[in-house]
Amino acid sequence: MPEIRVRDLTMEYSSGGYVVRPFDHFDLDLATGNLALLLGASGCGKTTLLSMLASILTPTSGSIHVGDVEVTGLKGAALAAYRRRTVGVVFQAFNLIPSLTAQENIYMSMRYAGVARKPAKSRSEELLAMVGLEDRMHHRPGKLSGGQQQRVAIARALALDPPLIVADEPTASLDYVQVDGVIRLLRELAAPGRVVVIATHDERLLPLADRVVELTPRPSSESRPPDRVELAAGDVLFRQGAAGDLVYEVDSGRIDIVQEQSDGGENLLAVVEPGNYFGELAPMFGLRRAATARAGGEGPAVVTGYTLRDFRARRGEITPTAVLDHAGDGEIGS
Amino acid sequence: MWLVSVRDLQFRARRFVIAVIVTSLVFGIALAIDGMRRSVQSETPAIVALFGADRWVVAQGATGPFTTTRVLGATAADAVRRQPGVKRADPVVLSRTVIANPAKDANLVGHVLGGLGSPPISEGRSAQKSGEAVLSSGVSIDVGARILVGGKAFRVVGKTPNGRYYFGVPTVFVSLRDAQEIVFKGQPLVMGIAVKGTTRALAGTTTVTNSQVVSDLNRPLAGGVQSIVVMAVLMWLIAAGIIGLIVYLSAIERMRDFAVFKATGAPSRVIVGGLMLQAVIVSLVAAVVGVGVSKLVGLGLPFPSELGAAGILQLFAISVVVGVLASLAGVRRALTTDPAVAFGG
Repeated sequence: MPEIRVRDLTMEYSSGGYVVRPFDHFDLDLATGNLALLLGASGCGKTTLLSMLASILTPTSGSIHVGDVEVTGLKGAALAAYRRRTVGVVFQAFNLIPSLTAQENIYMSMRYAGVARKPAKSRSEELLAMVGLEDRMHHRPGKLSGGQQQRVAIARALALDPPLIVADEPTASLDYVQVDGVIRLLRELAAPGRVVVIATHDERLLPLADRVVELTPRPSSESRPPDRVELAAGDVLFRQGAAGDLVYEVDSGRIDIVQEQSDGGENLLAVVEPGNYFGELAPMFGLRRAATARAGGEGPAVVTGYTLRDFRARRGEITPTAVLDHAGDGEIGS
Repeated sequence: MWLVSVRDLQFRARRFVIAVIVTSLVFGIALAIDGMRRSVQSETPAIVALFGADRWVVAQGATGPFTTTRVLGATAADAVRRQPGVKRADPVVLSRTVIANPAKDANLVGHVLGGLGSPPISEGRSAQKSGEAVLSSGVSIDVGARILVGGKAFRVVGKTPNGRYYFGVPTVFVSLRDAQEIVFKGQPLVMGIAVKGTTRALAGTTTVTNSQVVSDLNRPLAGGVQSIVVMAVLMWLIAAGIIGLIVYLSAIERMRDFAVFKATGAPSRVIVGGLMLQAVIVSLVAAVVGVGVSKLVGLGLPFPSELGAAGILQLFAISVVVGVLASLAGVRRALTTDPAVAFGG
C-alpha cells in the first residue's frame, strides 16, 4: 500500500466537434515508494491522467486502483474523503489561497478534513519548517517567491499525510534557483508508503525518477524491418488518439483517413491511393494520431509501415515543412 | 470556514468597504422611510387613545369622528350623558385647519376644556379658556406666542408631545367653542361625542369603538402607507442587489480558489457557508452604519421617523436575510466551478 494500478483506461472527450482520446486502453502500475514522471508533449494527457488519479476527472472506461480503493467508482462523501485523505495535489500555478497566510493555507486544508484547531496549527507549522519556510509562516502568497509558494503548496499537499502525491508541472513556474529546493523536496517525499506522480516537461527531473512514463513515443531514430499489413475492407490500421511510430505507404487498395466526430459520425479527410504515404506527423513530432486510418473501398488494402529513418532512406530527407505541406494537401500526416 | 471568509474580506477590504458604505446608505434610507411608516401607524392609535374614550357616538352613516362630514348637534351630548353606564360624554370638533404666518397645515381638535380630548402637557399649561391653544410637536412655535388658526387669534399656552396624525401633521388643541367658531361659524355642531363608560346609540346616531375609529382614520392613509412599504421593500432589494453583486464578483474572482477547495475535497458547505457568511457580515456591518445614516436621513424628512429597538432588530433580521439571499448567485457560481480548473497553468 499504496500500489497504483491503472487498467484498460480510456479517456475520451469532445473538443471542437471531434473526439479527443488521450488514453486508449492504457495500463500503468506504480509501486509504493516510487517517484514516477509522466513525460510527453503538451496535450498528450499528462494533466488528464493526474486529474483521473486525483479523481477530479472520471475516465470514459477502465479502472484506477489506489491501494484497495477503486477510484473511478467514488461518489459524494467517499469521493471528497478520497480527495482529502488519499491524494495530495501540487498544482502548476501553486493555487494557494491569496488571502490566507502560508500557515493558514495548510491549516485550513486540515480543518476542512475535520482536524482539530490545535493539532492543525502545530502540524502546519511543522510542515512549513520541513520545507524550510518557518520564517515565512505569516506571509501571504503574494509576499512569497514562486519557489516558496510551491514549497507551501507541497506542504499543503502533505498536510494529511496522503499515500499519493500528484504534482502537475511543479517546476514550470520556477526559475533555476528555485527549482533546486522543489526537486529535492519532491524526491524526499517518495518514501515507502507513498507514491509521487509528477507530470512534467522538465527533463532535469529525469535522474530523480524511479519510473518514467512516456505518454507519447519519442521520434524513433532506429531502423527495423518494414511492417507489411494486409487489411480487409473496413479494417482499422490505427485509431484516432493512438500512439504511432510508423509512416505508411499504400501498396494496393486504398486507405481512408477519417476523423471521428463527437456526435458519433465521421468526417472523411483524405483517401490515400497506392504509391502515396500517410501517418508521418505522429512519429516525427511525437504526437498521437489525429485521425483514424482504415481500408476503404470494396476490396482489401495492403500497406507497409516504416520507421521514420527507413522512410527517409526510401524517400529522401523530408523536412518538417514538407511534412506539413503534405498533411495540408489532405494526404493526412498523423 | 469563518477564517477564509474573514481573511478574504480583509484581502478585498477596499471593495467591501465601498459595498458597506453604499449598502448602509440604502439601509439608512430604507430604515428612515420604514420609520415613517411606523410613526404613521403608531400616531393614529395614539391620537384616538388621547381622548380616553371607551366608545364614540357619531351621526348615523358616519364611519368615525375624524373623517365624517355628517355632524351632530352639541346637545346630543346631554342625551348621552343621561344614559345609564355613561360616566362622561364630551362632544368634539375634529377638522383640518391652517396656522397662519407662515401658513402651516394643522389638525384642529376642539374639546371640552379639562374634558375628554384634553392633551397631556409637556411645557406650559392646559388651555383654560377661549382664545388659548395647546400645540402638538411638529410646529416650532413657542409657548406664549400669538397665532392665527383658521382666521381666529390664539395665544399658545402649552405644548403636548402627542397629538400628531394624518402623516405627522401637527395638531392645535382649542376649546370646543373656539373650534365651532372656526369650523361652523359658531353653530353648536360637533363631529362626535367621546364617551367614557357604556352607551347605546340615540336616534339618528351610531356608536363606534376605538378600534373602529382607528381603522376609519387609517383608511385614507392606507395608500400612503402602502407606498412607503413598497419603497422600503425596493430599498431592501437594492441592498440585496448591491451585496449580491459584490459577492458574485468575489465568487468569480475566486473561482480558482473554489476549484482548489473542491479538488482537495473541501465539503460544499465550506464554500456555501463561506460566501453566505461574507454576505451576512457585509450586510450586518452595513446595517449598523445604516442605523446612523437613518438618523441623518430622518432629520431631512417632513414627518417623524420612528426607529425604536424593534425597528433596529427588524433591520438586523432583514439584513441577515438580505445577506443570505444576496449570496445565492455567488454560491451557485461557486458550486458549479469545475475542480479541474485548478489544474490550469
